[in-house]
Amino acid sequence: MSDELKLIDAAKGGSVDAFTELVRGYRDGLFRFLLTRCTNRADAEDALQDTLINAYRYLGSYNPQWRFSTWLYRIAIRNAGRLRTDGHVELGEPPDHGADPLAHCLAASERENLWRSAKRILSDEVFAAMWLRYVEDMSVRDISNVLERSSSWTKVNLLRGRRALEAEMNSTAGSTGSEAYG
Amino acid sequence: MDKFSDRLRDDAAKLDAEISAQLDSRIRASLAAIEPEAARRREPKRRAASFWLASSLTGVAAALAVIAVLNVVDTDEPGVIPPTVAESTVQPIEIPALDLDVKAATLAGPLAQELEDLQADLKKAEEVMRGDVRIDF
Repeated sequence: MSDELKLIDAAKGGSVDAFTELVRGYRDGLFRFLLTRCTNRADAEDALQDTLINAYRYLGSYNPQWRFSTWLYRIAIRNAGRLRTDGHVELGEPPDHGADPLAHCLAASERENLWRSAKRILSDEVFAAMWLRYVEDMSVRDISNVLERSSSWTKVNLLRGRRALEAEMNSTAGSTGSEAYG
Repeated sequence: MDKFSDRLRDDAAKLDAEISAQLDSRIRASLAAIEPEAARRREPKRRAASFWLASSLTGVAAALAVIAVLNVVDTDEPGVIPPTVAESTVQPIEIPALDLDVKAATLAGPLAQELEDLQADLKKAEEVMRGDVRIDF
């Protein structure tokens, strides 16, 4: 039995320490991913907390045939989506673009971060697929599982997303007004 | 790793995603306050041998009841004679032969036009789609 499965078993039995150890390697990546999906850092923190709580609570339903990270990201995407649909963002106030975690984190960058371009030109799902592929190194099968999409959809949209971003990367000017892909 | 993948990886690493000590302690406190739920998946219930015996007997009894009912209802009554069908006395009508060559020429015209319209629609839709996705097939 692998270390991860041992930790999962211990966490299922109610060991918070085992669970903390289990998610230690995924936490930062998960938070980084949630920062790109939430409207502000506070929401991303809430989404991370909800994701870990849900993962701990429902660890019994985890199927070891899938990678643990796949399962974790699936919960994260649902939580981030719920935060958005629940209207956590104060609708009465004007949108605070300065609170955008991507903009905030990359303010000091000398050139535009490609993920920021990706957020502008790709749909949420295609953005997530690209992130999981190029940052988390997930396989097409795992990405399909996380996004609850077919493998064909994932392959086609990864290709389209890549083409769109490569075009963006290679373009020197006039990048505004791009259409959403996916 | 190609240039594109490297760039995406580098740009993702530039995101400040440090989890603060405050958030960490908040998460720990939340975890300590909850209990993991028991595994949802349950082993399929094992049925006792008596269950299968009772099921089989019920099935056999039901089949016998159906057979019995059918036998009671489906009695042959020798006195009943099926009604005879009267022979038709109507003379067969002769259908005049149609001049199909002339009609066919007039009917084929609209269909050909329809086909042309459909092909044009298809071409337009393809152009719109090409414009939308901006890729060459």
